[in-house]
Amino acid sequence: MATALLIVHGLVAIALLGAISHQTLATWAPAHARPGSFFGRFRAVPSASFANAIVVLYAVSTLLGGILYLYFRVDIRPELERAGHWPALGLFDLKEHFISIGLALLPAYWVCWRHPRADEPVRTRVAVTSVLAFIVWWSFLIGHVVNNIRGFGS
Amino acid sequence: MTSSHAFRRFAFAYGTAFAAFYVVALKLDLALFTVYPSLGVVLLGTHHARDVVAPSLGFLAPAMYWYGWTATAALGALLFGFLAALLPEQWTRRIWPGWLWAVPALAMMACVYLTLPWFRL
Repeated sequence: MATALLIVHGLVAIALLGAISHQTLATWAPAHARPGSFFGRFRAVPSASFANAIVVLYAVSTLLGGILYLYFRVDIRPELERAGHWPALGLFDLKEHFISIGLALLPAYWVCWRHPRADEPVRTRVAVTSVLAFIVWWSFLIGHVVNNIRGFGS
Repeated sequence: MTSSHAFRRFAFAYGTAFAAFYVVALKLDLALFTVYPSLGVVLLGTHHARDVVAPSLGFLAPAMYWYGWTATAALGALLFGFLAALLPEQWTRRIWPGWLWAVPALAMMACVYLTLPWFRL
């Protein structure tokens, strides 16, 4: 059960990573990029259309991670503590904290993309998206490291 | 139109307040509930093992606080969000929208600071 959930969690995380990376790069890409260039093609995709998918994928990924965390705490973490992997556990704790903060940002992120106000600075949307992208990348990489920790440096 | 404006105020206040409340909950260890996954037990409030004779028992019944910290911060942020939703639009227009990303970014830095002891073990 836990293995199947972990695989689904990983797949959802990859989809989320792709969507938010694309959206973030599109917001940071130069506004006057040549139409046929790499950044031009990035810009051509309507970034707002990613917002719903990102909110759903983030929520599903957090839910799955929240369920898997129960297994992690009972079966994996005590082993890591006994093996003295304290920095890895610290990084994983940060992942928990960041994910909670990101989850709470989702309603505002959605509003910024789907119902932007005319007088609202674009940089608010760009910054919120970048914060979320950082959280998603951090969580993905740290989750991956902890998942494979026995293969690292052994 | 009005409900969409109210939701905007709620969402902005909720996201900002949650980040601040989360750091407070983490620093003061204010978990709304404690989960013991191996026992299938959830206790209201923050509970730490007091067994100093056999601390290894903590491995048998590990406690989880993350859900509780998140719930504490969510509860505080919900109140803050609802208050913001009730405020008149012209009041909230004066608030810098950058708080929405600045407070979470600062909160994440605070979390890094609070997690530093793990890296000194």
